[in-house]
Amino acid sequence: MGLDAAMPSSFLDVVAAEFYAYTRFYKNNRAMMIAAFIWPYLMVLILLGLGYLFGSLSQYAARMGVRNPVFFIVSASTVAMSSTFIIDEVANYTLYNRWNGTLPYILLTPMRLPKQLLAASIPSTLVSPAISVTSALPVAIYFEGLRGAIIIAALYTVIVLGMVPLAGLSVLIAGLVLTVREETNIANSITPFLLLVSGVFYPVTILPKALQLIAVAVPVKYVVDIARAIASTGTFSHEVFLAVYVLTLMAFAYNSLVAPLLGAIEERVKRYAPF
Amino acid sequence: MHRAIEARGLVKRYVTWERRGLFRRRRRSVEALRGVSFSTRWGEVFGLLGPNGAGKTTTVKILSTLLLPDEGGARVAGYDVVSEAVMVRDSIGVVLSVERGFFWKLTGRENLRYFGMLRGLRGGELEERVSRVLRLVGLEELGAADKLYEEYSLGMKARLALARALLHDPRVLILDEPTLGLDPVSARRIRELVVRLAHEEQRAVLITTHNMFEAEMICDRVAIIDEGVIKAIGSPEELKAKIAHSVPIVIRFRGDRGPGEAEKALRAGLEVLGLSVKPVEDGYVARILVRSGEDEEVLARAIAVLAKLGFSIRSVEVSKPSLEDVFVALTTREKSGA
Ligand SMILES: Nc1ncnc2c1ncn2[C@@H]1O[C@H](COP(=O)(O)OP(=O)(O)OP(=O)(O)O)[C@@H](O)[C@H]1O
Ligand SMILES: [Mg+2]
Repeated sequence: MGLDAAMPSSFLDVVAAEFYAYTRFYKNNRAMMIAAFIWPYLMVLILLGLGYLFGSLSQYAARMGVRNPVFFIVSASTVAMSSTFIIDEVANYTLYNRWNGTLPYILLTPMRLPKQLLAASIPSTLVSPAISVTSALPVAIYFEGLRGAIIIAALYTVIVLGMVPLAGLSVLIAGLVLTVREETNIANSITPFLLLVSGVFYPVTILPKALQLIAVAVPVKYVVDIARAIASTGTFSHEVFLAVYVLTLMAFAYNSLVAPLLGAIEERVKRYAPF
Repeated sequence: MHRAIEARGLVKRYVTWERRGLFRRRRRSVEALRGVSFSTRWGEVFGLLGPNGAGKTTTVKILSTLLLPDEGGARVAGYDVVSEAVMVRDSIGVVLSVERGFFWKLTGRENLRYFGMLRGLRGGELEERVSRVLRLVGLEELGAADKLYEEYSLGMKARLALARALLHDPRVLILDEPTLGLDPVSARRIRELVVRLAHEEQRAVLITTHNMFEAEMICDRVAIIDEGVIKAIGSPEELKAKIAHSVPIVIRFRGDRGPGEAEKALRAGLEVLGLSVKPVEDGYVARILVRSGEDEEVLARAIAVLAKLGFSIRSVEVSKPSLEDVFVALTTREKSGA
């Protein structure tokens, strides 16, 4: 062995490593993989059940202004839940690895902490919604045929786009999660709130004024808007492109707002080294 | 060339919150390190010894860039652990705990591939290095390389932890109790490897341990740390010489004359620091305390004196002062005196 040290790691090295661990984990655990594909169906059943509980599907369709209520519920709830995945995934990534004892070794990667947490969360952030969306595919094809498949692919793209504005926030939360003493996952209380103001289960307009204002600033709302627009018209209207534009602006705005805080978060984590 | 590891006046306080009632909490500060300084050389195995809670792991975490010191600083492989943390991480291999720190549902090899990829290794080079370290620590020969980590024994886990530390060929190894709880075979394998990595490949090894036997066996130099303060630094021999002013000689003998006569003759014939002769079931035991370095000479004379009086010698024992004695003397003196 020579004495030459390897070059510090790159963003893609970390993404590749996490993707490798992720796929190996499922390969060694077939049961987990099957469960990952089945649970969205369980969710759909529950949501449909709730739908009937609160009135017939046609009432729901009228209230939401969509053409195909079943398809809308399936796609919109998948979309809404997936768009907050990034927050859960980054926070859970740090919590899981702390619990597992792997965190210090992961943090020994020659790279700055925020960059690493972000890179590390990418595989699961991409794969989790892919699994959800894939399991919604049969429903989409049953109701809408080939168009349904195209819509699902478009929705997946929008979900991923919707997560980009939340990237910096996710790292911030993950860092905070690491430095609070109690084993609380802040993300667990943030994502339900984001879902509340997303307008997925009822129009944003029925929310109180204050929440409506917050909703405008939350990316998930636009992801749901896109899902609704596609589900109601079955086409990609100008509304879709407007929402994509807003999401892109938000991605720049939010991440540059959060960026200065990330250095402080790294320092805070290293002051406690809570593992 | 610069020192492998250089710690200057490291101070670390942990802040904890003590619950007192539902909402009231009291801030408490634990001083884990109170000005720790030492340096280690290339090609040397340096031991950090101390009782539980002494500050060994805290020191290890600061040197590994996982924890920021409150005061003082350190350089590892020439880089500052605070301002050049990324370069330090690139130069060190770390073992923090031998019983966890891997993914349970991945095999040893898969785990190593993951950690290698994190460090930018890929393709053929990754495979080659993973296989090499698996062979080096003996996991290949145990047939455990492709077993799931959850099926590993503690010895296998410790070997895998060392394999990971070696994966990217680091110049400095920082090992926190790498042999804790291992059977003699696994522990020896790790010790031999550690010594070889330092002596033959000129790497620097910092190892923490409670095991004085181990420290004496493999460390070129040791530092004894207690309550966040370094109490002594030096080679095991130097430390023993510094602390153990006396060497105990124990002679068991038998004869017709009484113990009083034996003691009188010994005192007259020898220059000693202390002497006692006591009867036991089948004869007498003489304990003679002498200055270290004079033990052989004193022993020969003592045997001659006793033989002259017609005593027959049954056994002789010169207990060498062990690092354990030094450790116990340094780390318990103040506390027991208080
Ligand atoms: N995260 C933490 N929060 C609060 N106090 C801590 C923390 N980690 C360590 N301490 C305290 O700091 C002191 C030094 O601990 P450290 O783990 O460095 O000791 P050690 O020498 O490694 O002990 P051991 O031999 O038991 O591993 C102890 O009093 C310990 O209770
Ligand atoms: Mg320790």
